[in-house]
Amino acid sequence: MKVRTALGASAATHIVLSLVAILSVFPLFWMVTTAFTPNDLALTKAFRFWPEDPTFENFRIAFTDFHAANWIWNSILIAVLVSVGKLAIAVPAGFAFSHMQFRGRDALFWVIVATMTFPTIIGIVPLYIGISLIGWYDTQTAVIVPSIAYIGFYVFFMRQIFRSLPNAMFEAARLDNAGPFKQLFEIAIPNVLPAIASLSIISFLGAWNIYLWALLVLDTPEKRTLAIGLKSFVVIDDFEPMWGPMMAVALLSILPVMILFIFAQRYVMAAFTGGIGK
Amino acid sequence: MRQRSNVKRAAFSKLAPIIFVGPAILFVVVFLYAPIIFSVALSFSSWNFISPEINFVGFENYRRVFHDPNFQDAAYNTLLYCVVLIPVQIIVPLLLASLILRVKNRNLAGFYKATLFLPTILAYSTAGIAWLWLFDPINGFLNSVLTAFGLPQSRWQTDPNLAIWCVAFVTFWKNFGLNMLLLLAALVSIPKEIHEAAALDNAGPWRRLLTIDLPLISPTFFFVAVTTTINVMDDIVGVIDVLTSGGPYGQSSNILYYMYERGLSFFQFGQASAASVIIIILVLFVTWAQFRMFENRVHYES
Repeated sequence: MKVRTALGASAATHIVLSLVAILSVFPLFWMVTTAFTPNDLALTKAFRFWPEDPTFENFRIAFTDFHAANWIWNSILIAVLVSVGKLAIAVPAGFAFSHMQFRGRDALFWVIVATMTFPTIIGIVPLYIGISLIGWYDTQTAVIVPSIAYIGFYVFFMRQIFRSLPNAMFEAARLDNAGPFKQLFEIAIPNVLPAIASLSIISFLGAWNIYLWALLVLDTPEKRTLAIGLKSFVVIDDFEPMWGPMMAVALLSILPVMILFIFAQRYVMAAFTGGIGK
Repeated sequence: MRQRSNVKRAAFSKLAPIIFVGPAILFVVVFLYAPIIFSVALSFSSWNFISPEINFVGFENYRRVFHDPNFQDAAYNTLLYCVVLIPVQIIVPLLLASLILRVKNRNLAGFYKATLFLPTILAYSTAGIAWLWLFDPINGFLNSVLTAFGLPQSRWQTDPNLAIWCVAFVTFWKNFGLNMLLLLAALVSIPKEIHEAAALDNAGPWRRLLTIDLPLISPTFFFVAVTTTINVMDDIVGVIDVLTSGGPYGQSSNILYYMYERGLSFFQFGQASAASVIIIILVLFVTWAQFRMFENRVHYES
């Protein structure tokens, strides 16, 4: 009797989890099959679980009629520069907040961390005006520089990580006449590389996906990123959107993220869970 | 000589905190705090970017915003999104996490975990695009399924009554995996002995979840609650923009999207800024309320 209920519970568990798993994957699967299906066929035949007549035509359209190659390059450029910028700022700050003594330390820490609760687009109007006034409108700089400012979580995370290193480590270094830079670069950072790797992943994924702000400040089609380039296919109002090429670009936009996820799955998931459960 | 370099070094050490923390402060002040302060100033003025004069108009912009039916709709929708999505986006992932915990086969558990997490790594806009295609009223997959079963087709996100639920669903789809993962990580970290003791007391799995697990994972639960709130207020904007642009007739807009539209589609900076000040006050209040609510209940291991 006991065995049967145990088995029953477990069967129900598997059914529920499988259904949710299908729900999670299906839209992506559908994206892939549509990307490789000729556009007119995609529109006429809804049920095709495998593209008959698989084709790269949609990708060709994306690269020739639209600017997919530029979008890929721009997305990479922006994601890398934003990530590097965030880490370059958040890592030393996290270190200072955990192992250095200075006046106003806690207050400054909260000034930075409080920004975690700010809605990302809250300052969008003044920021837009400011960017236009200094002539950054329609440049990648306008996307990159303000995006670096969302470092609340990063500073918080790095402080937690550096705190796990014993203070004695740095006191010993000080006795050895090691300055703050030496302490940071030669002792602190080498000891927390996995955490920094995790943070880089989060940062890259976040920057890869910047949407609304990029949509606002990037006007020239060639200067856009993949995330906002997608919108070029939607706004063709009178017609059906070009689903085939659109899904091709959507696929391109998730490809690096997918590859990262497949090959560094544990790392990516660890990055998101941060210190929980360790 | 040696002494001099030591003096230099000491001065340098004093400067180090400024060098380490300065850039972070500079960035948040210039790009996050300053725009908010400017928003407050702009919210009391009439200015449209083109005209050189800026007039002080008192609370006029606020009055207009509060009387704007679009704002009222957006405010109502924001409330609806919060009331529906915040609990659902926490409870469903919690149940899924506890189901995954029961899967004994480790590979299978890993497979479920990874698959359910997959939508999380997508951009909000990409998630929106993927579902836009499934929802497509003419050639979309969902309507084909309905037709195949002899059911009437739906207009999905273009139906004024359904639009908000389509946006809510896609936001949920994109997000539940992250909360599931966070809660799962916390549940796994509960020591086995506690569960063994509970089993001896004959506590069933669901009762155990409520009375033992939940209090133990309350710090994570708090973190999840705060991030989910931000996410339902804020990140949802990407989904709204791709899926419905707030429509039809503003039926799926929220107050952030309203602000965005006022400011940067209609260039009514005063009203947009008034809306942003209202949002800031709201966010401060909600965050404060959450901290108060959880302050007494969160159980930290010490």
